[in-house]
Amino acid sequence: MLSNIKTISLNGIDGNLVEVQTDISGGLPNFEIVGLPDASVKESKERIRVSIKNSGIDLPSRRILINLAPANTKKEGTSYDLPIAIGILDALGEILYKNLENTIFIGELSLDGKINRINGILPMCIEAMNLGIKRVIIPKANEREAAVIEGLQIIGVNTLKEVIDYLNKKNDIKETHIDIIKIFNKKNKNDIDFSEVRGQENVKRALEISAAGGHNCILIGSPGSGKTMIARRIPTILPDLTFEEALEVTKIHSISGMLDSSIGIVAQRPFRSPHHTISTTSMIGGGKIPKPGEISLAHNGVLFLDELPEFNRNTLEVLRGPLEDRNVTISRLHSKVIYPSNFMLIASMNPCPCGYYGSLEKQCQCSKIAIQKYLNKISGPLLDRIDIHIEVKPVKYQKLNSNNKEETSKQIKERVNNARRIQYIRYKNTNIFSNSELTPKMIEQYCILDNECKKILELAFNKLGLSARAYTRILKVSRTIADLDNKRNIEKSHLAEAIQYRNLDKKYGDKF
Amino acid sequence: MKINIEDAIYPKELRKIKNPPKSLYVKGNIKLLDTPCIAIIGTRECTQYGERMAKKFSRELSIQGITIISGMAKGIDSFAHIGSIETTGNTIAVLPSGLNNIYPEENIKLYKDIIKNNGLIVTEYEENEKENSKRFLERNRIVSGIAIGTLVIEGGYRSGTSVTARLTKQQDKKIFCVPSSLESKKGITPNKLIKEGAYLVTEIDDIIKEYKDLKLKRKQINNKVQKDIYKEQYTEKQIINETIKQEYKTIYNILQKEKAMNINEIVKKSKLDIKEVNYKLMMLELEDKIVSLPGSNFKIK
Repeated sequence: MLSNIKTISLNGIDGNLVEVQTDISGGLPNFEIVGLPDASVKESKERIRVSIKNSGIDLPSRRILINLAPANTKKEGTSYDLPIAIGILDALGEILYKNLENTIFIGELSLDGKINRINGILPMCIEAMNLGIKRVIIPKANEREAAVIEGLQIIGVNTLKEVIDYLNKKNDIKETHIDIIKIFNKKNKNDIDFSEVRGQENVKRALEISAAGGHNCILIGSPGSGKTMIARRIPTILPDLTFEEALEVTKIHSISGMLDSSIGIVAQRPFRSPHHTISTTSMIGGGKIPKPGEISLAHNGVLFLDELPEFNRNTLEVLRGPLEDRNVTISRLHSKVIYPSNFMLIASMNPCPCGYYGSLEKQCQCSKIAIQKYLNKISGPLLDRIDIHIEVKPVKYQKLNSNNKEETSKQIKERVNNARRIQYIRYKNTNIFSNSELTPKMIEQYCILDNECKKILELAFNKLGLSARAYTRILKVSRTIADLDNKRNIEKSHLAEAIQYRNLDKKYGDKF
Repeated sequence: MKINIEDAIYPKELRKIKNPPKSLYVKGNIKLLDTPCIAIIGTRECTQYGERMAKKFSRELSIQGITIISGMAKGIDSFAHIGSIETTGNTIAVLPSGLNNIYPEENIKLYKDIIKNNGLIVTEYEENEKENSKRFLERNRIVSGIAIGTLVIEGGYRSGTSVTARLTKQQDKKIFCVPSSLESKKGITPNKLIKEGAYLVTEIDDIIKEYKDLKLKRKQINNKVQKDIYKEQYTEKQIINETIKQEYKTIYNILQKEKAMNINEIVKKSKLDIKEVNYKLMMLELEDKIVSLPGSNFKIK
């Protein structure tokens, strides 16, 4: 007898419909899967055979043939276990009610018949929804993740036996619902806050500007000055995730298997800080079976690269494309996938090998050449994409201990949100969202300077020896400062402050 | 242009040494060969302290009308030339290679600046000769040979600097040394030379007073440069203060001349918002009233 069961496969962050066709006929006892299964799918034969047996059903000694259609695309992963098992049971006549047309089965089996969680449920369910499917039967551990999608009947199941009884209407399983609004409200309770950062007014201000304009930023400071601590708090001042953005983030985290199954949706902007020994592939994604890299996991959030010069040069160079395009295309022999990677880059580094260049407390021991060598580890084109440079100083004990009231993340975020709103309205008819994305042509249109400002800028270039690449970045940043100030035009105070964030151009030679 | 040892213009001091080059190839202002020269030498891998000292003494010697001679290598040599050029003083660079092979390549800009500034390039090698390790030492004997004395800024243990210092001693000329910290690796040579009897230099007069019989012509330098240099020493905070716009005064009055201050401290003391401090500091800097130092530190110029 023939049976047709539907499931969904994953390609990048998108799902594709796959039909599991099962035929059981006479002949020599055999169990075969066709339709380009890879090793993990082929192995499912054994899991299915045993788990059906352990669910109390005898598998007859007949010829079983499974076809995974479309048969010309590679199938991989363990999510086909459940649909294949159901297909066999259906073909055997064990399923009494044949209304499986509008149902998707996804899940991995273990030998005792238990159904295990799999990765990538969210994009699969989004595809099911797009196909007009009514019901999805998925592992219990994945149900909250899938329940984010409204209008889909989500059935979370624990064992194969439970599925059979459910389909035969011997028992009833309630569909899962979650309260998205509640999850979204809960996220505002951050356990970290900017008010915990004592002093460091200049750094906080620079990061506020970064967040408001989506500017990439580099923090330069001696060891122990608190670069990492401050960077961790950046997501708390970024604008709230919208539902669409959250869904995108969740999709990526879902296929990477990094989702907390008790929450279901990533409601906070991600903060990724890979160690500097990271390989190129784990940075941008890839592998034989492509997986999202750190830059995609940081999508709509912050990618923090601590000790930037320690990173492998190649690993840093590959960031250049994604920083421009906001997504990354990974081409492999059998597949080509596109992962989104719209992240804010925050980097940190020491000013010199010993870390004390420019310190007032400790004498720097590095020679000029050593400092230049250290800075040369970062390429110009990468620095080109970083708008704001800021120096971080260690905070003295007295200040740490003071009772000064520091601003909270919430207060800063309010200003950031305002500035973003202004940008959103201004760029409504263009394809960009923030000042950091301005093209040279748009800069001419949106960053107009009056004569006084032009004079200041000219003076700054002559006096401070700024490099040519500083020019556009000063304009972009001053646009953001003007937005934060709620001013229509860039004024001299905005411009002068923006130049302050390029000051390193001069102090560290041509490098910045 | 080629100068032979018999020519009148051939530097007198150089003729006196044990193994003077038979001929010199020169480019630029050859009159400089007839001026009193002091060599400023030191390590290529200098510290920031070395850079400051090289520039300081080069500037001040130039103003006294002394020609600065050095090897145009990276580090101290370059800063010695730069210091002289900044005051439009006279400077001579001695190359370890022919005039068609400027060494080091990074300093081609400096080479052009020296020519442009009426300086002189000297080498004993023919046009297309390349540098090699032996020639660095040969070059050093010309540097100390043309000079009437040598100022050593920084140098490591057993370095080229120490060799040049030894040559100077053999040529019976005076060695001056700027002392360094005992903890600095680059301070070994000058400190050792001082121990062995070299003149310890803490200010320019330590050098000048050794050459009393020389009739030095103080260089006429253009006003702006002179002002810059003397401002460092003589101007009173009060005088500048009057030319500062009212709105920047709060910040200017907090800053000090001797000690740099971090931007966060300025925020705390001025009780102003960080954005205002950022803006005002930049304006003050552009107006040349203050200088910013690495580490977001500021002080009065």
